[in-house]
Amino acid sequence: MKATYMWLTRLIALTVVLQAAFIAWGTFDIFNAASDGRAFTEDTDYNAGQALHSTFGIMVVPLLALLLLIVSFFARVPRGVIMALVVLGLVVLQIALGLLSFPAPVLGLLHGVNAFILAGVAGFAGRGAGSAPARTPEPEGAAAA
Amino acid sequence: MTAARGRWWTSRWLRLTAAIAVTAGIVGTVGWFWFDSRVPSTYSVMDMGYLDYGGGPATGHVHPGGTSVADLTGSRDDAADVAVTLTARQEEFALGSGEQVTGYTLNHTSPGPTIQVTEGELLEVTLVNESVPDGATLHWHGVDVPNAEDGVAGVTQDAVPVGGQYVYRFRAEDPGSYWYHSHQVSHEQVRRGLFGALVIAPRDAEPEREELAVVHTYDGRRTISGHTGVRRVEAAAGEQVRVRVVNTDNGSLRVSLSGAPYRVAALDARDIHEPTEVTDQAVLLAAGGRADLVLTVPAGGGAARVDIGAGAALVLGPAEAPEPPAAEHDPTVDLLSYGSPAPLGFDPAAPDRRFELRIGRRPGFLDGRPGLWWTMNGKLFPEVPMYVVREGDVAIMTISNSSGDVHPMHLHGHHVVVLSRNGEPATGSPWRTDSLDVDDGESYEVAFQADNPGVWMDHCHNLPHAVEGMITHLMYEGVTTPYLVGGEPDNQPE
Repeated sequence: MKATYMWLTRLIALTVVLQAAFIAWGTFDIFNAASDGRAFTEDTDYNAGQALHSTFGIMVVPLLALLLLIVSFFARVPRGVIMALVVLGLVVLQIALGLLSFPAPVLGLLHGVNAFILAGVAGFAGRGAGSAPARTPEPEGAAAA
Repeated sequence: MTAARGRWWTSRWLRLTAAIAVTAGIVGTVGWFWFDSRVPSTYSVMDMGYLDYGGGPATGHVHPGGTSVADLTGSRDDAADVAVTLTARQEEFALGSGEQVTGYTLNHTSPGPTIQVTEGELLEVTLVNESVPDGATLHWHGVDVPNAEDGVAGVTQDAVPVGGQYVYRFRAEDPGSYWYHSHQVSHEQVRRGLFGALVIAPRDAEPEREELAVVHTYDGRRTISGHTGVRRVEAAAGEQVRVRVVNTDNGSLRVSLSGAPYRVAALDARDIHEPTEVTDQAVLLAAGGRADLVLTVPAGGGAARVDIGAGAALVLGPAEAPEPPAAEHDPTVDLLSYGSPAPLGFDPAAPDRRFELRIGRRPGFLDGRPGLWWTMNGKLFPEVPMYVVREGDVAIMTISNSSGDVHPMHLHGHHVVVLSRNGEPATGSPWRTDSLDVDDGESYEVAFQADNPGVWMDHCHNLPHAVEGMITHLMYEGVTTPYLVGGEPDNQPE
């Protein structure tokens, strides 16, 4: 379980990197389409980068954060549950900032900054799991064995 | 030792139980929301959501025995004054300016043929579906037709399957600019071409020079009546031209005029009372909305330009006139104070019903799919209000929006008049509309007369938003619909 916890935190940090990559792809694709005379309007479908960013942001990342929380109950990582809750909270904040940025684009700056905070906290939580000493048998249990 | 060992097992057992319980709680809650959100594959819109009587009498039930939507037809016996057959096909076609598009056509063109009728005439349109796989219908956007002619699959008719046909008959009563489009899988069919313009000319009016500007974006190419880029229309110096702009797209359209002052003579096929001259201001047209802009070609040999952005524009003037540069005006004509007041024709001061439509957005499940979805009065589709009125009622609806995006709200079968925006009363010409942009943070109070019995869709005309659950209905007491969403014809109105 401890290993699962660690790998989930790494996966969450990795999705943040992917999210940055997806949205960069999507943005450049708009410029490229515009240079071909195509308009970007309300009728325009999301391009691949935007669609991936949206799917990952709304579904994949929250699912991973929820899984991390569930795993944290079983993994016995020091402060593991608290860190998983913080990660989940940051994911919720990130989605909220993404939503609020549509009518107020300048909030996108916070969306960008919070992404790095999320990746950092997830990485930190994972290190906690990795560096914690393997669970030593309780003295009584050891004595009984 | 045994006691200590027991304690260890107990604490471990407790911990495990707690972990399992919390996990079950999380998974169970999410699972319940998922399970509860699922929409049956076949249902009647009458069973959707909850009834909202708006403070009026909660009588007159909605169950079998009332008038069927299918009986609320236009004239079936009188001879048609104008008869048109429109054949819908899925095919590859060329835009007027030459680009190839794969989509849908009516009589091999998109936009489909423009239908011209005169006020008072009986129009008969036969829709033939030759090859649109999902089936098709025709909805007369903005025309307050009898309910059976409204063309909404699953509400007022079944979608017309390949090989089938359907006849629409109604009298053209209110002159103005309209359009028609499929209301079956409309987010897909309209975007890809299944629409056209309908113009009802006033009965006793001086003939005037008109230009139709049907705006549509095909695969990212914005067009005016099927032409990309700048389109020149020859008009003599000093000539007055009525430009009928029709927004068939899903987003608001900024229409900027340069080279000549203009007047907004009509909006959504209702005349503006005493419109004043406008310069350096744009008209912001909601999705589905129409504006009649009247301009006079400059006398000095120049041209006027109607710019709709994304490189598309209409240039009106003598052939030798230089093309005015592209212009995009930031300020817009505010219809709340444009023109001068006139009688509304009814009194909204003591309404029979008061409805509320609060638009929001939140994460959740829509028919089992997780995502960020639009809410209506705090709930997700299909837990939406069904507004109930009685014929003859005056109703007021307050539409507010805190969803972060603009929503062009379209009530079928009726025009509403705007009473106030964000609490500020309307002071200009009566602002009658059928496609009203409600922007994020805005609140509109609108009034309408319940004078057209039926079951009417009231939805967001950013059609993908309708797919995402922004659909509600207005229902008259004692009227029922026999049609079902889904079912054998696979009716999918949105």
